[in-house]
Amino acid sequence: MTNPKHHPDESLLFDYGSGSLARCARLVVSGHLAVCATCRRAVADVEEVGGALLNTLPAAVLRPDALDLALARIERPPPRVTLAPTPRSDWIAAPPEALEAARTRRRWGAPGVWVAPITRGPGKSRSYLLGVAAGMSMPRHTHRGSEMVCVLTGAYRDGDTIHGPGDFACSDETVEHQPHITGDRECVCLVAAENALVPRDWVGRLFQPIVGI
Amino acid sequence: MTGVGTARDTDREPSSALIVLIAERGDREAFARLFDYFAPRVKSYLMRLGVAPETAEELAQETLLTVWRRAQVFDPTRAAASTWIFTIARNLRIDLFRRDRRTPPVDDPLGFAPSPAAPDEALCVLEDGERIGLAIAALPKEQAEVIALAFFADKTHSEIAGEIGLPLGTVKSRLRLALARLRAVLAETPS
Repeated sequence: MTNPKHHPDESLLFDYGSGSLARCARLVVSGHLAVCATCRRAVADVEEVGGALLNTLPAAVLRPDALDLALARIERPPPRVTLAPTPRSDWIAAPPEALEAARTRRRWGAPGVWVAPITRGPGKSRSYLLGVAAGMSMPRHTHRGSEMVCVLTGAYRDGDTIHGPGDFACSDETVEHQPHITGDRECVCLVAAENALVPRDWVGRLFQPIVGI
Repeated sequence: MTGVGTARDTDREPSSALIVLIAERGDREAFARLFDYFAPRVKSYLMRLGVAPETAEELAQETLLTVWRRAQVFDPTRAAASTWIFTIARNLRIDLFRRDRRTPPVDDPLGFAPSPAAPDEALCVLEDGERIGLAIAALPKEQAEVIALAFFADKTHSEIAGEIGLPLGTVKSRLRLALARLRAVLAETPS
């Protein structure tokens, strides 16, 4: 697999490392990190400082039996881990939540389009998988708040730019676009949106209530 | 002072070595030492982020329990123990709280007065705590402020920009400079 060409902004990588990035956005950034060593290094730099800061903190007072409790707990057998969902050989390495959503919550969105919700909240933010068949276009739309996308398989064209597996994109309300699926295969993306899309034409308005994005 | 040369130098054993001992032979003594040092700091970290004390204590337990269970995946050549433990605590908080935001109590607005290490806490004496504490104290105030907001107040770049009323680009460059300075200090070989 070739390295991704489109990366999250350094500020997003920092927010990921410091822990302040919200859950839905975090999931999409993690999709890109799984295949991008360069961005993983940038996150690791932030985490290194986070660890060092942890060292500077004054020790909080623990309950008197805290250590005894911990020592008792390590003797217990670990909880049974639920088996991680099987990776998809035709996708880049995807977060387990995304694989699970694809397996169990996939639903029809529109002709050639499926959606699988992954996480919701806080507020109106949500993350989901979006599968669009080869040759199709998304309804022309814009956003309220930011939208982050990481391609898991296939590719889409947005204006002059092609986004393939592992590529990351972030758009906001200043962007009005109509991504078009290129190549001869379905394109599946991991998406986090702060708000519902704002469709720009009647087809989109018609489908939106059904698709739920 | 007999035995200085012969006593096992455990007091100076870096915490990464303790994690390796846990991985290799389930060393409970090593775990206890690691717990004594890190659990109170993880609790402190979480409380700064607005987590209630009881929950912070529970998550600190959970963090160290995760260290015990996953010690085998820790690679001391790739990350410091404190880095790994920070990421575990950070992730547990994100998973548990699902971003129900609270405003942390602010008694120390910069959020990280360097703590003098007590003799029985000297476990990490050669690690990064002291040096980074000094490095933070030496940061320009505006850089220390954004670092505190990012790590201990749960603020993203744009939230920080909103909070202190500065353009996003300024926040970005302040955080970038601060990160570079702190990392430069971490990269120095301790004397």
